[in-house]
Amino acid sequence: MAAALEPINTNPTYADIDRGVRRIMDPPGVIFWLWIGFCATLVAIAGALWTRQIYVGLGVSGLRQPNMWAVYITNFVFWVGIAHSGTLISAILYLFRTRWRTAVYRFAETMTLFAVLTAGLFPLVHLGRVWNAYWLLPYPNERDLQPNFRSPLVWDAFAVSTYLTISATFLLMGLIPDVANARDAAKGWRRTFYSILAFGWRGTGEQWRHFQMMYLLLAGLATPLVISVHSVVSWDFAMAQLPGWHSTIFAPYFVAGAILSGVAMVITLVIPMRRLLHLEDLITTWHLDNLAKVVLLTSVIVSYSYITETFITWYSQDQYEVVTFQARYFGHYGPLFWLMVWGNCVFPLALFSPRMRRNTTWLLIIMIFVNIGMWLERFVIIAGSLATSFNPSQWGFFRPSITEIMITVGSFAWFLMLFSLFSRYLPIVSMTELKEGIQWLRQSLRDNYYPDLPGG
Amino acid sequence: MAAEIELVGSFAEEEECIHAVEALRRSGVEFRVFSPIPSEPLIHAIGRGLSPVRMFVLLGGISGVLTGIAVTVGTSWEWNLIVGGKPVVSWPPFIIIMFELMILFGGLSAALSFFFFARLPQLEPIPGYSERFGADRFGIAVECDEADSARIEAMMREAGAEKIAHEDPRPESAEH
Repeated sequence: MAAALEPINTNPTYADIDRGVRRIMDPPGVIFWLWIGFCATLVAIAGALWTRQIYVGLGVSGLRQPNMWAVYITNFVFWVGIAHSGTLISAILYLFRTRWRTAVYRFAETMTLFAVLTAGLFPLVHLGRVWNAYWLLPYPNERDLQPNFRSPLVWDAFAVSTYLTISATFLLMGLIPDVANARDAAKGWRRTFYSILAFGWRGTGEQWRHFQMMYLLLAGLATPLVISVHSVVSWDFAMAQLPGWHSTIFAPYFVAGAILSGVAMVITLVIPMRRLLHLEDLITTWHLDNLAKVVLLTSVIVSYSYITETFITWYSQDQYEVVTFQARYFGHYGPLFWLMVWGNCVFPLALFSPRMRRNTTWLLIIMIFVNIGMWLERFVIIAGSLATSFNPSQWGFFRPSITEIMITVGSFAWFLMLFSLFSRYLPIVSMTELKEGIQWLRQSLRDNYYPDLPGG
Repeated sequence: MAAEIELVGSFAEEEECIHAVEALRRSGVEFRVFSPIPSEPLIHAIGRGLSPVRMFVLLGGISGVLTGIAVTVGTSWEWNLIVGGKPVVSWPPFIIIMFELMILFGGLSAALSFFFFARLPQLEPIPGYSERFGADRFGIAVECDEADSARIEAMMREAGAEKIAHEDPRPESAEH
């Protein structure tokens, strides 16, 4: 990485920030298109398998009674969870005026949008008769039949579609000043493209006055929304009577888990992209350090939730709950459960060390474990609980089929493809907000690269 | 009175631009500001108060709640069936729908009212805008008579303008 070895400018100006971000939007090379081609191939394979599943039926998946919810629903919850950090970083931390969010919030917001888009596909993939998906929404029909608003699945349809709309709006609104900046420097079709997205923004005092109010209120609305969405997702389970699902702590427990997995995914994406796109002078280890602290905090909350869940089961002495939890810890899914505990609870404890939080290699390794752990958490809860319900004669063991595995792989490829395309064609780092907090960027660069300088 | 000349002052620092804005306001001169960043002190210095976008967000939120009530209660009354011994209109689950629609309608109202008040989409460039005002410079455009131009220019220079350009005003220009 030749560029990374160049001396870092610890006193960047507005123009330096523009140069740094516009450089990312230069036309990508062959390797980028090979990567996109690779992702697109995996997406095409997943699409073909889904098409086959629609044609042949759900029998091609591993879904058998009693495990009628497994990998697809795990993926749905996983991707909705990934989406949560975007709104946390862009909305909640915006309301708190957190200084370090400026460099990474666009990453997180973009990730949110594509993660919700990916998540939204899974309830459809999971449907045996996908052409009837619209039955979830209230629409006028000749039989006056409407969805049952007492059903958590209908709440979910409302929550996730609201979340998708609001996070897309939030992202597009935040992009306007940056895209206008990119428009002024662009030529050819890019200029037209950016002009359309900028809506003729010129940054007048009057425009900023309305923009700031709109952005503040969108952040204010997105904050309770983000908490509600994963609470509603958790109620898909908690509202059922099933041992292992029927629990009152699910909402806060799922929200903490969602933020844990989402921030871990942000770090997983930021570290390689920071290297590949030479963003060391815009995203410093100070930003990563703070993100890692969020991971640490939510990891501890998640660990506490696991302990509470176990305690409630022991304290209730409900035989069905006890058996379900015994099976979760020591049954077929036991190894997955313990890998989850290591990924979500044990490895992140290393982040108590500031050196670990600032070491990008270790940070990346820990984050990958957290991602795996959080996927497994959902799988263990969903498939594991269904496998050992009330009646032992109904117990079963879920094994994913190649269709489910490849559709899961395809969902990651789909997400990464969209994210990669966005990052090369639209400003993945907010220029306006970095400029607004330029003194904090300068400070972090000095602390990072030249800690012995006075004032560093 | 048609303006004869348009002065466009360019400032490297936010504070200088704010000083110029304050000086212009004290003298009662009408002006237009350009900023590359969402500067709260600058918005405050312009002194236009809080944006009316907030009222529309409130109205959007209220209409979302009302829509939520209409959809949930209305459809339950239409298919009037007691399920599981629960009342036909059971508020706790319906509150979730109302809440989600409140956020949805409020958020969309925020975006739409912002477009309305910020006069976007704007197809014509705003007079006085230069590409640097979107990147690394703050700008103030003042439409004035030839006679006033020296005084206004002096005010901007005193505040710290690094460059002041003289441009032809456009008759259709709107104040921003």
